[in-house]
Amino acid sequence: MSNQTGSTGVKRRDFLKVLGASSAAVASTYYATTCRECAAGCGVIAETRDGRVTKLEGNPEHPLNRGALCARGQSAVQGLYNPDRLRGPMVKEGGVWKPIDWDRALTLLSQRIGEARSRGSAANAVFINQHETGSFPSFLDAWLAGFGMRPHLSVDFEADSAAVEANRAAYGTSWPRLSFQDARLIVSFGADFLDGWGMSVPQQLDFADARAKIEGAPRFVYVGPRRSLTGLNADQWIACRPGSEVAIANALAGRGTLADAATASGVSEATLARLQQELTTAKPALVLAGARGPDALALAQAVVAINQSAGAVGTTIRNAEPMTAFDGAVRVADVLATVEQMRSGAVPIAFVRGANPAFSLPAGARFADAFAKVPFKVSFSMYPDETTELCDLILPDQHSLESWGDAQATPNVISTQQPAMDPVFSGTRATADVLIQVALKDPANAARYPQRDYRSWLISRFAGGMSAFTAAVAKGVSAGSTAPRTTPTVAAVAPAQAAPSLDTSHGDFYLVTYLSPVLGDGRGANKPWLQELPDPVSKVLWSSWVEIHPQTAARLGIERGDIVEVTTQSGKVRAPAYLYLGVRPDTLAVAIGQGHASATRLDAFEPKHTDRNTIQWGYGRYARGIGARTQDLLAPRTDLAGGLALVSTKATLAKTGDHETLVSTEGSARQHGRGIAQALTLTQLAGLQQSRGAENANALAPQGSANQESGGGGSQGEGAGGKAEGARGEHHEEIPGEPSGQFLPGLRSPVAADAQGDLGSPTAEDRGKEKGMYAPNHWSGMANRRWAMTIDLARCTGCSACVTACYAENNIPTVGASWQNATVFAVSKPGFNITRGREMNWLRIERYFEGAESEQFTEDFEARFTPMLCQHCGNAPCEPVCPVYATYHAPDGLNVQVYNRCVGTRYCSNNCPYKVRYFNWFGYGEEDRKQYAFPEPLHWQLNPDVTVRTKGVMEKCTFCVQRIREAETRAKTEGRELVANEFTTACAQACPSRAITFGDAADPKWAVTQAVEDRRAYHVFEELNTYTAVVYLKKVNHPGPASPARS
Amino acid sequence: MTQRRKWTAIPGLLLLVIGAVVLSAYSGASSSQGNQPTQPINFPHPRHAGATKDGGLGMNCLYCHNTANKSQDVGMPAVNTCMGCHTIVAAQKPEIQKLAKYYADKRPVPWVRIHKVPEYVHFPHVRHVNAGVTCQTCHGQVQKMAQVYQYASLNMGWCVNCHVNGYDPKEGQKAAGYDNVPPAGYSGGAPYGTPGTRAGISLSSPGMGVVPDSARTTPPATVASNGGATPSVERRRARYDCAACHY
Repeated sequence: MSNQTGSTGVKRRDFLKVLGASSAAVASTYYATTCRECAAGCGVIAETRDGRVTKLEGNPEHPLNRGALCARGQSAVQGLYNPDRLRGPMVKEGGVWKPIDWDRALTLLSQRIGEARSRGSAANAVFINQHETGSFPSFLDAWLAGFGMRPHLSVDFEADSAAVEANRAAYGTSWPRLSFQDARLIVSFGADFLDGWGMSVPQQLDFADARAKIEGAPRFVYVGPRRSLTGLNADQWIACRPGSEVAIANALAGRGTLADAATASGVSEATLARLQQELTTAKPALVLAGARGPDALALAQAVVAINQSAGAVGTTIRNAEPMTAFDGAVRVADVLATVEQMRSGAVPIAFVRGANPAFSLPAGARFADAFAKVPFKVSFSMYPDETTELCDLILPDQHSLESWGDAQATPNVISTQQPAMDPVFSGTRATADVLIQVALKDPANAARYPQRDYRSWLISRFAGGMSAFTAAVAKGVSAGSTAPRTTPTVAAVAPAQAAPSLDTSHGDFYLVTYLSPVLGDGRGANKPWLQELPDPVSKVLWSSWVEIHPQTAARLGIERGDIVEVTTQSGKVRAPAYLYLGVRPDTLAVAIGQGHASATRLDAFEPKHTDRNTIQWGYGRYARGIGARTQDLLAPRTDLAGGLALVSTKATLAKTGDHETLVSTEGSARQHGRGIAQALTLTQLAGLQQSRGAENANALAPQGSANQESGGGGSQGEGAGGKAEGARGEHHEEIPGEPSGQFLPGLRSPVAADAQGDLGSPTAEDRGKEKGMYAPNHWSGMANRRWAMTIDLARCTGCSACVTACYAENNIPTVGASWQNATVFAVSKPGFNITRGREMNWLRIERYFEGAESEQFTEDFEARFTPMLCQHCGNAPCEPVCPVYATYHAPDGLNVQVYNRCVGTRYCSNNCPYKVRYFNWFGYGEEDRKQYAFPEPLHWQLNPDVTVRTKGVMEKCTFCVQRIREAETRAKTEGRELVANEFTTACAQACPSRAITFGDAADPKWAVTQAVEDRRAYHVFEELNTYTAVVYLKKVNHPGPASPARS
Repeated sequence: MTQRRKWTAIPGLLLLVIGAVVLSAYSGASSSQGNQPTQPINFPHPRHAGATKDGGLGMNCLYCHNTANKSQDVGMPAVNTCMGCHTIVAAQKPEIQKLAKYYADKRPVPWVRIHKVPEYVHFPHVRHVNAGVTCQTCHGQVQKMAQVYQYASLNMGWCVNCHVNGYDPKEGQKAAGYDNVPPAGYSGGAPYGTPGTRAGISLSSPGMGVVPDSARTTPPATVASNGGATPSVERRRARYDCAACHY
């Protein structure tokens, strides 16, 4: 019933619906498939409507992600519907791209391969493929071998080669399963296991479970020059100099003295001694190495030694449960060697699929020059990226949601990949099918492919054949393993080489570059959801930034937003400064991921005048020209394991005199005593437990009294009707004014239960009035429910997967593209709308710092992440100020926004203490406006159950009311009551920390009812008497033996 | 002074009145009730869904609009559904040949939408159909329409009329316009909210949508007749909270 779900004109997909044998074509159909956004290969369920994928959710059956999905994985659907996808094969003739039909394209390709073979140079051909596991790598190698070409390069610029190498040597597997739950202490040397290092989702699931144990939870110490998102989740930060991690690790491993390590790292010896002490007492520990310097391998090997002495092997490092994600990946060093081979002119043909080396490799590798020496370059890319622009022939691949495939989830589990829909662009073809078609043109190879397409090829190799394959595809996972690559991909590393170290010859600052947790190595930059997702640490979006410590900034007179220039021997980058507490004063940090650009000059994107067949070179309209390319700062240095060294050099910093408003959703980084994100230490929590019945003096805001908690638990079984009566009986004459501390975590507040009844009408005769559906005994039973949510801050890591889930579920427009602001006084600057506070994130993650109040550098500060969304207050400040009754309280506890009624006064937003209401300043949902956020075919993703809001309407979190109504309808149709926990909101579903619980707080069968009883429960701004339906559970800190406690 | 003020007030008031009239006319009459567009294929509903004595086939609405009792949206039948019969039946007629053309082109028929609730409103067909609301209550007697038009206003007042006052199954039956009476004892099913009122489809009840299973088990209503109007206890009730439809 929403207004923007259809595409204009009739498409093949519509016909799919029309022809569909399925009787319930309008209802959702679900396909289990595999996420290919990173190497991990999580299982996803693609929800389709009318033959179109609308949402991706984690596959609960999948051993890796168990139903959760990160922001990048969810955004795959915007890769599928990316408006800048290449729509058909093209050939470059005289420097101009011309469409070509597939027959001619394949003939051309066969001919070029034939020429290379006849010249005898085919063996030097290069195939660079984005690293993936499963059957495709061996399929590809076999295909290449058939043409006399060497095995392909399976490139993953995100993989930590040093860790893989050290794991291989020590544990015999590229990646053992890491068990955070079994650890008593976690020490990470720059291993950002929540930012994308390794396999984010499985690691985060396990880490959150470990931290949720509260009492038995591991303490977490982060060692590194910059606090990443992972570092912010640590209890303690040891800010060592870049490159000195190895000295500390060696000292801890007993290969050096602590005094030397302290000198090298700039960390006090006492701190290191405490860490060493902890490592000996808290066993088993889990120590991880992930710092990406030139000495990364030495660090990883030292950490292996620590783990062996810390009792980690076999307990927290499950080497008997290997993971396969990085099996078969080549090292960046091999890629660099291949680039040099290209430069020498020896490579006759180069193929690139998925990877984007022209962007990802350091500028010093001069990839474009070398690539130009290759006479014939073929790209299988879906997007007009930098590498594709340099090619001669484009054979656009199909998206993983449109094509067949598989991945090796664990050594014993195959994760299958199936098309969830017909191809969005009929001009695209799956690369595997294209390769088969090319082979069939060659008489010598044709016989090797009796199966005419990749799906048949997969089935022919699947144990159990067609029927087993069909059964596996339906579930998405199946026991077994795919054919491994037979070619040796990794040469052993000479172990005795002296570890190279940081080049400190030039510059005043250490330079830390790191992979963006949101955009990865830059792959995510063309997806507006990811551009609009604030970086979990800096809260900067649609932009690059340089992290500078406030102390350094004050010394140099740099303010937030000043444009600074970072220069290394390799190049320079201009970006606004972001003053960050979590970076050493002698260090600058810049994220990798932005800075996509076109090799040729292109006009700025203008949505009104764009012919949709114009190719948006530079990775598409959403990526091009955003921020700066951090790789320009890097020399092509690798560590001994062949991984790209991201921290390898020093840099100089210069002010340019320019200033811009930093594109950020961060209001204040401080709580100013408001008690929004509350935390306890373990000792305080123990005290809280003992003093049940007394007010908790340690909490920042008044906590519901424990008497009430225990008393309320017993009366819950009566349901909300009885509950409301009870509450009213108790508080009959009480009109809310002061926070009395008498209410349970809000959910049984008299106001909430009463909604618009007695307490809203203080006079006696009013109390007897007809309360309609708000009456607990009303036949509809609506008032017997109280939809509520708990968010466990001990679990929340701030990863922001929930934010993207909310965008996906609720058709939230992205507003940051440079053309999406005012029509009359247009400012063509990415993120301009966001600098004006026009972002639409119904659910945002607030990140607050505690401690480190002065500019002076200190390691001792804490970050707290608080997902902030509409609190669905029982006594909502937004409701009484609406002059047109557009926002009101539904009997089932929802604070509802009626879009039809809304006239856009924005009084509600002004009166909302949580600032969770968002106004549609422009026609983001209207196709004929330049601000349109869903250019075809992005609008195919829109959820048909949710209205696409138009200009001038206020909107906010609805608690996924469409899911509530859908569940009610389903229950009603099946003639039953709602079953506890039978559905949940999009954010709770996606959360890889399992921090969010949603349900009916009036029904004790729902999990949320137990969660609100937790002794850590509190409301944000309880003193305002808003009686929120969102209950937060306080974060639990684990301070070290000598660290100050903060609450 | 006073005189002058009076004279300036009159045109101002007039303007206000005109403005109010224009506004109310604009907002109140925004329904496209009666809209009867020409469809790409002149589909004869009477021939398919009309009663047999009127020369129809007496097909149930759900035969073609088969998600009406399963989904929010009813959806239009697939061309395949049409071709199930029409590859053979009446294949030579010009309208059927148009249909066959769409089938051959693998394109859906671009039907012109008639019934559409205003934006920002969610109308779950499944709830209404399974509650025993006859299709004709909202869509009119389509089985007698040579060319379908919008029968009801689909305005909010029209929705709320049922949602507050309740739906009378007997009136719904009457509105359905069939001569064949509902099954003995049919009272439109049990009241809203009663567990166990799982609805089933009876393909033998032409054009009536769904008859709940309970229709055959519910004892005849014993409430005394009060001049034709249904007693309020028998009226089916529905939620009238804003958030039931607006979200």
